[in-house]
Amino acid sequence: MKKKVLSILLAGTMALSMTACGGSTGTTDTAADTAESTETATESTEAAESTEAAESTEAAESTASAGAIRLLNGKPEINDQLKELAELYKTETGNEVVIETIGGDTSAGDELKKMYQADNMPDIFVIEANQAATWDGMLADLAGEEWTDKTGFELVNDSMGTIGFPYTVEATALGYNADILSQAGVDPSTLTSPDAWKAACEAIDAKKDELGLTAVFAWCAEPTNLGWSSGTHVFGQYLDAGLKADDTTYIDLLNDGGQIDEARMKDFAEFVGMMNQYADKDHLLVDGTYDEQVAGFKEGKFAFITQGNWCVTSPDDVSFEVGFAPYAFEDGINTIIAGPPSYWVAYKDGNVDASKAFFNWCAGDSAQNILVNKAGLVSPFDDCQYEATNPFYKSMKSYIDAGNYSGWHTMLKKDGLQNETCQVFADYAKGSIADADEFVEKISSVIKGYYAE
Amino acid sequence: MKTPSSTKGALSILCLIAGLGLLIWSLALDFTKSEASFRGTTLILGIVGIVLGLYFFPTLKHHRTIINILFLFPLLFAFLVTVIIPLFLGIGYSFTDWDGIRVRNSVGLTNYTSMFTQPSFLWSIFLTFLFVVCNMIMVNLVAFLLALLCTSKIKGLGFFRAAYFLPNLIGGIVLGYIWQFIFSNVVTKLFNTQYSMIADTGTAFLAVIIVYIWQYAGYIMLIYITGLNTIPGDVLEASAIDGAGPMQTLFEIKIPMIAPTITICTFLTLTSAFKQFDVNLALTNGKGSVDIFGNYLTNGTEMLALNIYNTAVIKNNYALGQAKAVLFFIILACVSILQVRISNKKEVEL
Amino acid sequence: MHTKEKTSSVVIRLIIAIIIAAYVLFPFFLVVINSFKDSNEITANPIGLNGASFSKLVRNLDEVINNSSFTFWQTFGYSALITVLSLGLLALFGAMAAWVICRNKTVWSNVIYFTFIASMIIPFQVVMLPLISTFRDVGKFIGIPMLKSVPGIVFAYLGFGGAMTVFILVGFIKGIPFDLEEAASIDGCSPEQVFFKVIFPLLTPVITTVTILNGMWIWNDYLLPSMMLGQNGPVKTLPVAVQAFVGSYVKQWNLILAAALLAILPMIILFLIAQKQIMEGMIEGAVKG
Repeated sequence: MKKKVLSILLAGTMALSMTACGGSTGTTDTAADTAESTETATESTEAAESTEAAESTEAAESTASAGAIRLLNGKPEINDQLKELAELYKTETGNEVVIETIGGDTSAGDELKKMYQADNMPDIFVIEANQAATWDGMLADLAGEEWTDKTGFELVNDSMGTIGFPYTVEATALGYNADILSQAGVDPSTLTSPDAWKAACEAIDAKKDELGLTAVFAWCAEPTNLGWSSGTHVFGQYLDAGLKADDTTYIDLLNDGGQIDEARMKDFAEFVGMMNQYADKDHLLVDGTYDEQVAGFKEGKFAFITQGNWCVTSPDDVSFEVGFAPYAFEDGINTIIAGPPSYWVAYKDGNVDASKAFFNWCAGDSAQNILVNKAGLVSPFDDCQYEATNPFYKSMKSYIDAGNYSGWHTMLKKDGLQNETCQVFADYAKGSIADADEFVEKISSVIKGYYAE
Repeated sequence: MKTPSSTKGALSILCLIAGLGLLIWSLALDFTKSEASFRGTTLILGIVGIVLGLYFFPTLKHHRTIINILFLFPLLFAFLVTVIIPLFLGIGYSFTDWDGIRVRNSVGLTNYTSMFTQPSFLWSIFLTFLFVVCNMIMVNLVAFLLALLCTSKIKGLGFFRAAYFLPNLIGGIVLGYIWQFIFSNVVTKLFNTQYSMIADTGTAFLAVIIVYIWQYAGYIMLIYITGLNTIPGDVLEASAIDGAGPMQTLFEIKIPMIAPTITICTFLTLTSAFKQFDVNLALTNGKGSVDIFGNYLTNGTEMLALNIYNTAVIKNNYALGQAKAVLFFIILACVSILQVRISNKKEVEL
Repeated sequence: MHTKEKTSSVVIRLIIAIIIAAYVLFPFFLVVINSFKDSNEITANPIGLNGASFSKLVRNLDEVINNSSFTFWQTFGYSALITVLSLGLLALFGAMAAWVICRNKTVWSNVIYFTFIASMIIPFQVVMLPLISTFRDVGKFIGIPMLKSVPGIVFAYLGFGGAMTVFILVGFIKGIPFDLEEAASIDGCSPEQVFFKVIFPLLTPVITTVTILNGMWIWNDYLLPSMMLGQNGPVKTLPVAVQAFVGSYVKQWNLILAAALLAILPMIILFLIAQKQIMEGMIEGAVKG
């Protein structure tokens, strides 16, 4: 009889060690498992009792974790601030939000597809407007939530309703260094035609050494890591520059089988050609990095930068005034692209109620304080009392107030197109695409090919 | 053996019953959609019970068979679940419109025909073959020369062998980033070039080859050294006495005598070059442009393995990616078999 | 023989060997020296030692170790745990299976053996996608998560490493005289005792080989953990973490190279300790495989 007890104990320990392995996944229920497995082993005949015990532990656990939701963030640069936001949320409401960050070269959208495959979806995640199709039928309708009354920037989808919570408003155009422009005698408000741009570039380029500039444009067309910049943001200017925010002419054309307006594309290509001509060909243009591009602009080595307000988030970053000038590749273009480039959405099968509560809290004062003052974001909410600290904010606001802003329709192009078109920008920058005509020809064949796939 | 068989029998039956009970219970929980977290533990305990029950089963005649089964089970089970089942599922999925989660329709050969209408995929195949051929020749050549160097009489042989082998210890991802740094920051400075090698499709491809040789030649060298060391000393001595020059010794004695080693090395470089993924991903991520087949393609340096990954995971086309993977498998199998056949014949002739 | 000519050719060969060694080791040298610098100094002069200082190394390492997508200690711990568990189980279960296959000349054991060998040409890509869905379903079915968990990935390595392990071990066990086992049986050993007391201890050298081969592969593997664990999952291995770290906007070479240094250091240390065994193991594996 002793032997029997002994071997059952042995079985118990073996099972225990195996579940201990299982427990090392990072969950905290190892203790519960252990207790439970010892119980099952010693009283294997009276299983009923242990079931009850185990069930009660389980119930306790699930209530404890009911409030905890996971948020997948796509902006590594605000990761720390979001963690701070999560802490504040916990102290204020007692609920937990776990921030997970993916971004930069690794696109959050691609990673999300893998997470979906692995049955590991976060409750809240970031999407760009065109990715709504990927998640068709899987996102919660947020219509009627309190925060929707305070903003006009929410993402509305035909089939799923109000799905996207705008956590920031971003603008992109050609960011300029006001000090350099004034020293070179260029008035940024006149830069609304290709001719004006050409004259300005020549004027600045002539005084390059005097002003300590490396080149006129901090423009980088490197495709492997910065494809999102050329393929999405700069390309977006072709789609939207000069158009009203709700004008979808060129994006509709594009999404209709990948058509482009050749005349407009040619003007755009010539403008990009000018940017290539006055860029830092030796270092930045072909094989630079985002960091080098932004660092050079902050140090005053470039007059313009082809990024948006996210590249300079704090007034401490720069010792000069900054602002935006439009990509005026046709006469009279005077808009910048402004709006939320991406949204937070709630996963339908996740904890929707907790997500909704979090969104409402985020639109409130204490959260906005962190998002605006610490993360340097621009608030999309009308009642936000904080003046954005972002150095580009003044310029952004003047364009928005005057109604001179276009939409982020580039986010509606077919998902992944930027990975193809960025190569055309890179070849143009390198010179293996000789002129604007060839650029138009190549980009149109790439786009057609991608839409046909 | 020493336990009285009646106790053992009782124990065995008890364990079997308890194990089966737990197993059935955990599966029952599964079918009733219970979310209980102890389900896994119950299942494991059930399996342990059955294993013990079988182990104590009071039979001398079948004990050996039971042990055989118990010994084979863990590895075979893992092998079935991770390799065999996914392989057959994968082949099946390649004929459907599988989206990674569910299968809606069977589409016959559509995936297989549509991948050949993709110029970018054809380019990937072509590029992979080019890469494999380049590497098979280069790696073997470099490695063989290194092996000759490392079997000659110089000081510090141990150090040189270890040094040449060292890159092989490092995983492709880390290595890819290190070389990305070297190509874009160091090589541009040293040779005063305008762009990084990675910026241009042709040179980027060359860069992948350079990194691959750097990583792999040391390993292949080790195998050649082993091969060269198996040549009996008296054979070499005899040839020296006969007045054979170093070149003659090399081509008429050394190379023929290590023919089996050459087979092994060719086979190794061939399959590993075919499967190249990590360095391709970390170094160029398949970027680059190329004007070919009358198309302007933007996946200039994307090889097969990466193309499959991008098709399925990035472009979200699981069925097509799976079909490409099956083709990849077929190519690899054919090439491997062919290779072994050819080299076997050669060995026999020699 | 011609002693003079020999000396000069030895010198030439030595010089060639040194030049090649310098070329091969150059990237390692760059990783190390640039981990001692800050970003601007690297861009300005990536080869020299200008501005290198110990405090910068500490700062770089500190930033990398505490980075939220790298979390070095945790990642290193998981990498080590996954590798050690997989290697231990592969050695044990592999030896058990190989022994059974080797000592039973039945149709079944032959079928199993040749299936293992044939499976060695299966590229990972062809099973990669269905593997994820199979593991997802199996995990749901048995109530133990198979994706994003240590047991799951260890199980996967058991499956993928099994073929080569069995192949090499069978080759070795064939060479062990059967008399040994018979003698032990006559002494009253049961089959399992024969295996654990007689055979298993004899396998030490070949298990070392197998462990080195599998260890190099598992430690450096990227695709399998990136598919199964994901880039931001609770469990991460070093190659995945390096990819996730470099993949963020931060293209600061000082940090990337410091991260690379941390990722390659354990391997290099291990190599310095067990250089001979590792090199011999790799050769044996290749020759037998």
